[in-house]
Amino acid sequence: MKGFMKGLIGAATMAAVGFTGAASADNNTIKFALLQDFTAVYTFVTDEYNQGQRDYLRLINEEGGIHGHTFEAIVRDTGNEPQRGIEGYNRARREGAVLVDFLSTPVSRAAVTRVLEDEVVMITVLHGRGDASDGQTFPFVFPMMATYWSQAALLLDYIDQERGGLEGKRIAHVYIDSPFGREPVPVMREIAERKGFEVRTFAYPSPGNEQSATWSDVRRFRPDFVVLWGAGGGQAVSVREAIRNGIPQENILSVVWMAETDARTIGTELATGIKRFEAVATGTDYPVMQRLMEKVIEPGHGAGDPANVGTTYYNIGVASMAVAVEGARIALEEFGPPLTGDKLRQGMEMIENFDLDGMMPPITLTPEDHQGGGYGRVSTWNGEAWEAVTDWFNAYQDIVWEEIEKDAAGFREGR
Amino acid sequence: MFYRQSGVHHTRYQTARRLWPLPTDQGIVWLLLALAVAAPLYLSDLYLTSYLLPWLIWSAAALSLTLLMGIAGQLHFGFAAVMAIGAYTSIHLTRAGVPFELALIGAGLMAAGIGCIFGAAALRVKGLYLVMATLAMQYLVDWTIINVPAISGGAQATLQTPDVRFLFVPLRGDAMLYYGALLWAVIVTLLVLNIKRTSFGRALVAVRDKDFAASVIGVNPFKFKLLAFFASSFLGGVSGAVLAFCYYQAVTPEQFGFNVSIQLVAMVLVGGLGSVIGAYLGAGFVLLVPIILTNLVAGAAAAGWLSVSSNLLAHIPLMVYGGLIIGFILFEPLGLAKIYDNLRKYFLVWPFRHTQS
Amino acid sequence: MDISYLIELLINGALTGLMYSMVALGIVLIYKSAGVPNLAQGAMVMISAYLIWMFGSLFGLPIYASIAIAVVAMFLFGLLAERLLLRKMVGQPIIMIVMLTLGLEIFLRGLGPGLLGAAPKQFDLGINMMPIIVGDVFINREYLVGGIVACVLIALALLFFRTRIGTKLRAVSDDHVSSWSVGISVEKAIGISWGMGGIAAVAAGALWGSVQGVDWTLSMLLFPAVAVVILGGLDSIYGVLIAGLVVGILGSVIPGYVDPIVGGGTRDVVTSLIILLTIIFRPHGMFGREDIERV
Repeated sequence: MKGFMKGLIGAATMAAVGFTGAASADNNTIKFALLQDFTAVYTFVTDEYNQGQRDYLRLINEEGGIHGHTFEAIVRDTGNEPQRGIEGYNRARREGAVLVDFLSTPVSRAAVTRVLEDEVVMITVLHGRGDASDGQTFPFVFPMMATYWSQAALLLDYIDQERGGLEGKRIAHVYIDSPFGREPVPVMREIAERKGFEVRTFAYPSPGNEQSATWSDVRRFRPDFVVLWGAGGGQAVSVREAIRNGIPQENILSVVWMAETDARTIGTELATGIKRFEAVATGTDYPVMQRLMEKVIEPGHGAGDPANVGTTYYNIGVASMAVAVEGARIALEEFGPPLTGDKLRQGMEMIENFDLDGMMPPITLTPEDHQGGGYGRVSTWNGEAWEAVTDWFNAYQDIVWEEIEKDAAGFREGR
Repeated sequence: MFYRQSGVHHTRYQTARRLWPLPTDQGIVWLLLALAVAAPLYLSDLYLTSYLLPWLIWSAAALSLTLLMGIAGQLHFGFAAVMAIGAYTSIHLTRAGVPFELALIGAGLMAAGIGCIFGAAALRVKGLYLVMATLAMQYLVDWTIINVPAISGGAQATLQTPDVRFLFVPLRGDAMLYYGALLWAVIVTLLVLNIKRTSFGRALVAVRDKDFAASVIGVNPFKFKLLAFFASSFLGGVSGAVLAFCYYQAVTPEQFGFNVSIQLVAMVLVGGLGSVIGAYLGAGFVLLVPIILTNLVAGAAAAGWLSVSSNLLAHIPLMVYGGLIIGFILFEPLGLAKIYDNLRKYFLVWPFRHTQS
Repeated sequence: MDISYLIELLINGALTGLMYSMVALGIVLIYKSAGVPNLAQGAMVMISAYLIWMFGSLFGLPIYASIAIAVVAMFLFGLLAERLLLRKMVGQPIIMIVMLTLGLEIFLRGLGPGLLGAAPKQFDLGINMMPIIVGDVFINREYLVGGIVACVLIALALLFFRTRIGTKLRAVSDDHVSSWSVGISVEKAIGISWGMGGIAAVAAGALWGSVQGVDWTLSMLLFPAVAVVILGGLDSIYGVLIAGLVVGILGSVIPGYVDPIVGGGTRDVVTSLIILLTIIFRPHGMFGREDIERV
């Protein structure tokens, strides 16, 4: 009994430490809450993405912050569980966080109404609700980069412009059987109607480690191009199955979730030629990456394995924080400290043609458009790295915005 | 001393059969209830909305499952699907203009109806096979929700809960949502506590202990197994609806996935099979321990006590959590309720060491 | 639709089914002698794949050497899991044992990705990617190798049960108490069966890991494996073979024809229905032993 009581007291003390958590709020520190999924569905991206985000914030701090303000990242694991995300969010908000990034569609969706009420900026880079691009309906939610609708439109436009036109083509949309996989279908159908080509959808069951039956069917459809809409381990399986079924690498196009690790799983030689949507350039040949190498990575302040620096998801993380920090800078210049969620929102809505010295497409956020134009480019695996094959461009934004408006209207009506 | 049986004399059967015959126990229950009712006054919104509120709702859900697993002895690894049916039914009903009170009952009935189909498997098999059958049904329900946009809500697969009133009070604001959850938790608690004392509850226990033997003494296992599934699914369905309206305020299919079913079973087992207080303790454990561990580990890392990669840092809570579940099952198979019981007995005879029971 | 489509679905489905059998074999080996439904088998497959990757990439060993080391490591892991965890559970209700293996699953899912990195890893077994083409039928070479390995493993398991230790294991699976009384060490037999479960996990981990990369999603192979086990009978090794083929073929042919109509991936539905229908109509599976219950 005595031992048990001791244990109980010990546990209570531990819990108390856990409850009190991190340090108190400091007016010159801007807090960003990066409450992401390190242990469940999004593990394929979170590690590198989060590392990039923290390294960039560190860089800004090393360079003296902006207008005397430094940044602090509150990093927690949510395990992709909404209740843990909401707890982390409420805690971070109490600690004074003005921005939150869940990198998890279910958690972001559960948090939408809360951030709108609490006036905290939520960035939903390449995840979450696509219709949140409508800044009037979702003033505090910033998708910030191309939504899945824009990505699908852009890939189709690439085929149209550079690969011999869309008319009369047969395009197979092979997707993981989830709302995410199905999301671009209406946009693709709309474009198909406009340009006169055929789209057929092929679903494979989650998590996609076995897709042979799906691909037997795809092969018989004799597609000219295959668009892959999956994430994580399923992507490599998709590409291998596609190649096995005689689809040339050049005709395989993928959503943004295709990175160096996937190419290695496929086999670096074998993957040569496959195309993907790219939201942010990869590699370290950009001024901001050079600064990062010099001031954060080489002195050993990096948040993780230096080998990850410059990978696809790392750079997306860097870009996401760069936009947020730029928003904070504008907000501080325009409205002065202390930075609040509402000021940050207005600051971000004033961002114009911000391209991080060429590392990302020039994005312009307005009170109406939180997507930033839906720009991106197509890149290809050259055997060693992802290499851009087009300039930054966007496509069919009219169709994309029709979808955005439709779903946003649904949200306003309480759906 | 302050917690004893001596001096408590029951002169009427009614007093002896009360839920809590000891004055101290009654005192504790009233105190807890008063603390719970007053919680919005002294708890910050962080602890109210992210700890206490989900804890209450998950406890209600765990209690519903306790009724099935602990009292009636029917294993169920698809309870999240039952809750999902309740949540989706209630949202679609309220959006169609049905008053919230009726929508809740509708949610319960729908969940109970489909839950009975789960129960049909229980009429054939038990134990491990029932685990597998209910698990398979969880997958079927998940698949149906994801693949029928009319249920899941179109391209975004998210349904926001509409603003509703419960008994003329608008369900808005942290305090009101909390009271909604508290009310439901109290109702389920009283129900489960009392079911144990009715003939229905005793019949369930008979079926649990040995269904063949139960039928020999005149309890129809067929009927009572189905009734157990019906009652438990009804409560589970309403809990799902309360979870959607009072906590998430939006439903997505992922909120009721297979891992949630496992969590619910863990709640019931870690708490102590068949115990009401155990359902509360178990729900608290499964729901809050990962959260507290995550904060603890992050705090320790921030303080410089723990210098490991962020990847390992994120996985430590998962390991500890899995380890704790293993530990409980190995070393205290009767769960947290048993630990509470030991504690209670210790104080019952304090300052002496031994109890008779 | 054309006949070659059906044949292709049949063959690739059968081979995939055999790949699932490798995961299922571990569950059956353990259940057969220990009576424990090991729901951590999926996580053990994941850990095996992580081990192979670790020995291969971090220590730079050739791939087949690292598989051999992983076999030894997982055999020891199986022994340890039995000794430290499951032996204490004898006599507990089945639900406790199920939950214990689930707790082990959660623990392993934290351990592997936590220590070795959650981002997907990869290793190459050196199997040619290109399919074998017969007429208009494409056969997946990786699955073919997987199917052959699965058949070999199942044959070995069957042979093993004819050896002296195997006979003891069979006796143990019949009845613990009477095995004890004739001087068979039940603990040792159960430990060995856990070790063999570990070995089966390595085979599955090597093949599945090379196909899809190594990360925690490997542990989700548990679900199809459970379908195989239920359909074949929890304690039947023949059952693993036959049910693997059936689950694989049904899970390939039915979605192959139904998916285009429904517009969604129906394989999990087929798998779920296999589990459900088996349990409702023949709970002990095709080849499993029927339990007789006494009051």
